[in-house]
Amino acid sequence: MKPLESTNLFANSINKSFSTPGMDSSLEVLEDIWFHIMEGEFVSILGPSGCGKSTFLNILAGFEEPDSGHVACCGETVKAPSPQRAVVFQSPVLFPWLSVKNNVRYGLDLRKEGKKGTEDIASSYIKAVGLDGFEDYYPSQLSGGMQQRAAMARALVLRPKVLLMDEPFASLDAQTRYSMQQLLLRLWEEYRHTVVFITHDVEEALLMSDRICIMSKRPGKIIEELPVPFARPRPLSLTGSREFSMLKNHILERLMT
Amino acid sequence: MKERNWNADIVGFILPVLLFSAWYLMTMEGGVPAYLIPSPSALVNVAIDFATGHEKLTPYAGTLLVHSIASVQRVLLGFGVAAAIGLPLGFMTGRIALARESLDPTVHLIRIIPGIGWLPIAMVWFGVGEGTTLFLISLAAFFPIYVNAAQGASSVSPLLIRAGRMLGANKMKLFTTVIIPAAMPSTVAGLRLGLGISWAYLVLGELTGVTYGLGAVMMDARMLGHVEMILVSMVFIGLFGRLSDMILVGSFRRLDLLKEESEQ
Repeated sequence: MKPLESTNLFANSINKSFSTPGMDSSLEVLEDIWFHIMEGEFVSILGPSGCGKSTFLNILAGFEEPDSGHVACCGETVKAPSPQRAVVFQSPVLFPWLSVKNNVRYGLDLRKEGKKGTEDIASSYIKAVGLDGFEDYYPSQLSGGMQQRAAMARALVLRPKVLLMDEPFASLDAQTRYSMQQLLLRLWEEYRHTVVFITHDVEEALLMSDRICIMSKRPGKIIEELPVPFARPRPLSLTGSREFSMLKNHILERLMT
Repeated sequence: MKERNWNADIVGFILPVLLFSAWYLMTMEGGVPAYLIPSPSALVNVAIDFATGHEKLTPYAGTLLVHSIASVQRVLLGFGVAAAIGLPLGFMTGRIALARESLDPTVHLIRIIPGIGWLPIAMVWFGVGEGTTLFLISLAAFFPIYVNAAQGASSVSPLLIRAGRMLGANKMKLFTTVIIPAAMPSTVAGLRLGLGISWAYLVLGELTGVTYGLGAVMMDARMLGHVEMILVSMVFIGLFGRLSDMILVGSFRRLDLLKEESEQ
């Protein structure tokens, strides 16, 4: 048992099913999921498509309610979405009518913090994600990767207790995905925010996380948790090492079953 | 790119030039008599005289400003009332189930009655002229504004709403900072339709008998046999309608509320 005071977010015995219209039986999506994450930890939830991992993230975020079970963040039961648990979606979901700067400022402005401070904080995060010079651009004028950078800045600027990321790089091309992974790791080294990272990409999970939770096919269930033993920073060449490919094969086998 | 646009401009001019030439040929010596279709030059002269009044060609010389102000005021007032009622009701219908269930069926029932169908009862209620005109404009412009605001508000992407909530927006803030801006493209389309309809119903209302207004000039000129003035009034109504639409769209562009949805 890990000491409770450093546990940042936990989910106990989560069950969730969706009823299908016109059918008596309902579709069981999540079955008895137990999950916890420590402060500053980077944990990936890895699973095949359709295993319910996004549904699980939505429950952690407070967008959806579990049928049974309990989610708590920093000692408080999760009932609704909150900036404490900022989300980076698979698509950027920026507000298309706001410039990059105003998208990043959006959450800060809701907090009614001092105007001068807000401006500085927002621009420091825009710089951190490498979008300085693009403050006044609108989302539609940016590439997919740049939009996702802005979405990351928008979430991080709120200094969330946990950053929930739902396959954030899945729709990007290979090069952009790699540079976004590096960026996320750099930001994580700097701010040490807790990250729950949903992915179906085994290499991505191995390169990024401290710990991997493997989910089974539907109904989703965490079938194995394994710590990632590699020291950081992890260069791309790591993927060629024997230990890495053994671990990768092991995970792939677990995913197949 | 530039060349293409230039070509498109040329193509766009062909039909107007042909129509204008046909009109000119028709009104030449031995053609259609001037009391049916006045010649282009006569029309231009009367139009200039209507604005400046120094030739006194018609009884309406120099009165353009007075009539225009009267008409524009009616449109602004009627359209303003329609927007002031239609926008909030539309947004509420689009987002709040209780509002939709209690309002929408009734509104659509009333909407089926054509606006012109309200003319006789409006004249009974408000008398000829001012009151009837404002009532008809507000009523007719309300429906497209309401329907499009509701449509825009109800089709806001659920992901945008999730984003707003997770960034800390409460219900009220979500409405003002996410739902209304996201509904803007559809809402502005409704406002434009409403404004166009406002001009149509302005003319209908003014035909019933007001002292000042472009519609009044048209009706009056018909009785006095000034065919040019009927056409000149039509042209000015068209110009004002187009101008008001440009101002409406331009002001929303300025507010940065009409950014194209990206492909999210």
